[in-house]
Amino acid sequence: MVSLDENMLVKKIQKGDQLAWSDLVLRYEGRLTNYAQGKIKDHASCQDLVQESFLGFLANINNFDASRSIQSYLFGILSNKITDLLRSYGRLRTVETPVDSSGNQKSSPYIDPAMGASTWYRGDEKKKLENDALIKGLRLLINQLVQRKDYLKLKSIELIFVNGLSNLEAANILGIDNKTVASHRHYANNFIIDNLKKMNLSPSVFPHLSEQDQD
Amino acid sequence: MTITKATLDAFIDDHLNEQDSIRVEKAVRESQELNTLLKSIIASRDMGDHSIGAIWRREHLSCPTREELSSYKEEALDPQRIDYIKFHLETVGCKACKANLSDLICTKNSLTNPDANEKHQQFLENSKILLPKKV
Ligand SMILES: [Zn+2]
Repeated sequence: MVSLDENMLVKKIQKGDQLAWSDLVLRYEGRLTNYAQGKIKDHASCQDLVQESFLGFLANINNFDASRSIQSYLFGILSNKITDLLRSYGRLRTVETPVDSSGNQKSSPYIDPAMGASTWYRGDEKKKLENDALIKGLRLLINQLVQRKDYLKLKSIELIFVNGLSNLEAANILGIDNKTVASHRHYANNFIIDNLKKMNLSPSVFPHLSEQDQD
Repeated sequence: MTITKATLDAFIDDHLNEQDSIRVEKAVRESQELNTLLKSIIASRDMGDHSIGAIWRREHLSCPTREELSSYKEEALDPQRIDYIKFHLETVGCKACKANLSDLICTKNSLTNPDANEKHQQFLENSKILLPKKV
């Protein structure tokens, strides 16, 4: 969730406030550096990547979508920079990475190096609306489960959606019945579908909502 | 491990743990079917279509706040919430939250390193010219 405090910080930076900029860098530098260090051992490279991420943020500050959290946005930019660097070392899993005529690897076949609000919705305004609606529905669902302390359901759907596990795999991890996990998935899908309908969107734009288990 | 569309999606986002990631990479190399599926997911993403998982991961929808992580560290939350955050960190393996937590735990900030601190100050100074002009 985006805090008022964060919104204020962005607004100040948009007006050229140097202190707000220093504040933002100080606030996020540690966590971003730790994130980079989880993947790259060389501290100097990590620091460079983090700084480049901040510059990417600053370069797009006037287009920053106020509904997004600064942290998610920065992590997004950074993780793409890390992917690019690792690929340039030839260390990252490259699934048929395209090679140009001189034998150099072209950029990632599947990750946009400059991912940000603008490129993520590269499609069109309609797709952006659909994705925003999905984000809203997921937020409502997660908030509802947290409020009700229904953590088992939240764990089930997180394993399925976020980690891409099958019902059976999720059930084994959680020590519960396969059918219970299936009912959790069903609950989540229906919740999101109902939410999309309330916003006058057709759930058919998200085919994965009708996908049940692939066990 | 069953490799589903959702697994490949998590693989693209580098969300899988090292072991699973290697497994998926190998499977994609060996199976034309999986390779095609992976490419089709990438193509859909390029068109702006994203799965629930991709959106959830990217927006960090279930991540505890920084304040909550701080309370988690002190065990100053309700036990069910602590249990969930532990699950989110260890089982889901959220790398952003792990980075956040270790930043909170690490009292010795990397900026106490004189080289790093100098670079940091220099960066702040240099980047200021990119700030929008004061209005
Ligand atoms: Zn998290």
